[in-house]
Amino acid sequence: MTNPNTSTTTTPEVLLRSQDFSLWYGDFQAIDGITLDIPKNRVTAIIGPSGCGKSTYLRALNRMNDLIATVKVDGQVLYHGQNIYGRGVDPVQVRRHIGMVFQKPNPFPKTIYENIAFGLRINGLNDAMDDRVEQALKRAALWDEVKDNLYSKKGLDLSGGQQQRLCIARALAIEPDILLMDEPASALDPIATAKIEDLIHELKQNYTVGIVTHNMQQAARVSDRTAFFYLGRLVEVGPTTKIFENPDEQQTEDYVTGKFG
Amino acid sequence: MTAPIGDHGQARKLRWRRAKGGVFVTVASIALLLALSVLVVLITTTTLEAAKLTGMDAMAEAGIAMSVRAFNYETDQDRESIPYLSVSNIISGSSAEEIGIKQYDAITSLNDEPLDTMEQAWQILATAEADEDGMLNLSISWVPAVDRLIGELGSQSIPGQLGQYRASIESLNPGSPAARAGLQEGDILMDANDLPIQGRRKAWGAIIAVAKRQAPSEPVTLTIERDGERMDVPLDAERSGTLVAERDIWEAIWDFATSLDSPNRPERAGLKSALLGTIYIMLVMMVFAFPIGAMGAIYLEEYASKNVFTDTVQILIANLAGIPSVAYGIIGLQIFARELGMGNSVLAGGLTLGLVILPIMIIAARETLRAVPPWVREAAYGVGATRWQVIRSQVLPVSLPGMFTGMILSLAQAIGEAAPLILLGASLYVNYVPDGLLSGFTAVPLQIFSWVFRAKAGFNTVAAVAILLLVGMMILLNALAIWLRNRYQKGW
Repeated sequence: MTNPNTSTTTTPEVLLRSQDFSLWYGDFQAIDGITLDIPKNRVTAIIGPSGCGKSTYLRALNRMNDLIATVKVDGQVLYHGQNIYGRGVDPVQVRRHIGMVFQKPNPFPKTIYENIAFGLRINGLNDAMDDRVEQALKRAALWDEVKDNLYSKKGLDLSGGQQQRLCIARALAIEPDILLMDEPASALDPIATAKIEDLIHELKQNYTVGIVTHNMQQAARVSDRTAFFYLGRLVEVGPTTKIFENPDEQQTEDYVTGKFG
Repeated sequence: MTAPIGDHGQARKLRWRRAKGGVFVTVASIALLLALSVLVVLITTTTLEAAKLTGMDAMAEAGIAMSVRAFNYETDQDRESIPYLSVSNIISGSSAEEIGIKQYDAITSLNDEPLDTMEQAWQILATAEADEDGMLNLSISWVPAVDRLIGELGSQSIPGQLGQYRASIESLNPGSPAARAGLQEGDILMDANDLPIQGRRKAWGAIIAVAKRQAPSEPVTLTIERDGERMDVPLDAERSGTLVAERDIWEAIWDFATSLDSPNRPERAGLKSALLGTIYIMLVMMVFAFPIGAMGAIYLEEYASKNVFTDTVQILIANLAGIPSVAYGIIGLQIFARELGMGNSVLAGGLTLGLVILPIMIIAARETLRAVPPWVREAAYGVGATRWQVIRSQVLPVSLPGMFTGMILSLAQAIGEAAPLILLGASLYVNYVPDGLLSGFTAVPLQIFSWVFRAKAGFNTVAAVAILLLVGMMILLNALAIWLRNRYQKGW
């Protein structure tokens, strides 16, 4: 594992920042005034007990919550300094730059090749399609397992872990800046989980990753920075080692030491 | 503490719901049983009727076309009508022609059973035992027409008895059974056995009536008056032979399905124009209702925001699905037939029935779209798809089979509709095949309706067969829908 301390000393560029961001489902406020940075080429983990708003927050970062009719937001999410909730911003464009991997592996009910090619095609990346598909699958460490039946096997025929790596490949294929992962290993067995975690390490070289997890060990293993959410608020954020070993807040300590959650 | 009270209320509510559920299940199962028994009764009775179609077909195969006539005679006390089967046509080259049955002969018995109605004849042909090749060999007896049996008859009024006539032989046909029996020109026919002969027209009828009552080998005893003297003459009136016909139920049904309607010959009447009319209407319905229904469903389910307008549209659609189809007939008549000048054409009929199924189609399509799990959409949105790209490439491919299933089910319902088409002015008698969208047409339920109301015996039989075919079409369509659903159903 890289030393998380080095990542804070060099103060990397902030790619995505939420400022006083709040979100309501109808009358229920799920997120309350969160200000958080997601630095470039780092893995930022968001932890917290169930219902703390961590998934909602992550989905707000690429406007996935727009699909729910009752959602209202306040505050800003700045991507390269531009508010993605600003006037005239097309959520489709936002999602093309900020990719997402979901909790439950959700490949399209199509062949492996088509699972990757769909995103390429709708994003106008029609040249060298086969190469792009191969590259994406290689980056997601799935190529060797599926290269012989790209066209014959359906995405849904793969194992759970393979499906999730296919979803990661699908997200990577369109070359996003940021990859958001919403509990990507929660539905997987330990071996598949380890593969996904190794993959996240690899991805850090070229991508910026935001990951939500309820598994604290996972957060400790994969992330450089960790943010602790509780009841829709950001309690504390800092280098992962600090959050787990010497947090500033009592609530954080109680949570990471297993006193609640 | 409010919790126990709340809990109590909850429990009562649950019990009530369970009780209501029980009542519902009971009512539903009784209704289902009733519906099933009605269906069973319908199918058995129509099948019994339908069996006659094979008999009808075999009769046509044997080469005889018949109609029922009746011979009326009066006694002092009574007036009686004795029906008989008169041969209206003999097909050349048939076994009936071979054994010498001719036009206007009267068929008296078939397989030793006396015949009064055509249905009896068909029934006998339908149930007679066939040999191993499926051929029927039936003994048939008939009385030749009067000119061949006797010759020319004349009528003489009876002096002093107004309106009473006697029959006399004006000219004897040489070589006829009467000549062989020793009758002579000028003989006056008095009685046939115990039946009094009342005039020229009734003489032959009396002979048939007597012949029908006795075995074919027994002669009819004619009482005649010759030169003022009465004498009894045995007349060998009846002739018999063996009729050969092939009975083939599938051929009978195939012939029925592929021939045009006949106005007064049930054995010739077929369902061809109605079947084709129904198929053409179904095609128009599909082309009209499927895209509009699917697009409407996509709009309501994927695009429309929830507001008063869409709520109203939703309620309207649900209500339209429940409106009696006859109301759509009025709409179709005014809009398609009159305003748009389509008349009672295939196009107007298809569009009208298309309106009938449109709300059902929209509801079914919306259900299918709603059944697509949210993660399919999320996955596509997640890679930067626009709403339309999500719908076109991910949602539609998985929901199309469901939409087709919904459409086929509503088609199956719509092909049984007669009321809207009647209002539209569709023809009840069509002896041509629709040759285009603006051609006139009839449909299977209309054809059934038309046949049921025709007076001649046998049309109820062909109507029964048509009902069976219609039920069969519906079962086929429903089976297709179930197959489609199971074949393409997604186990998410």
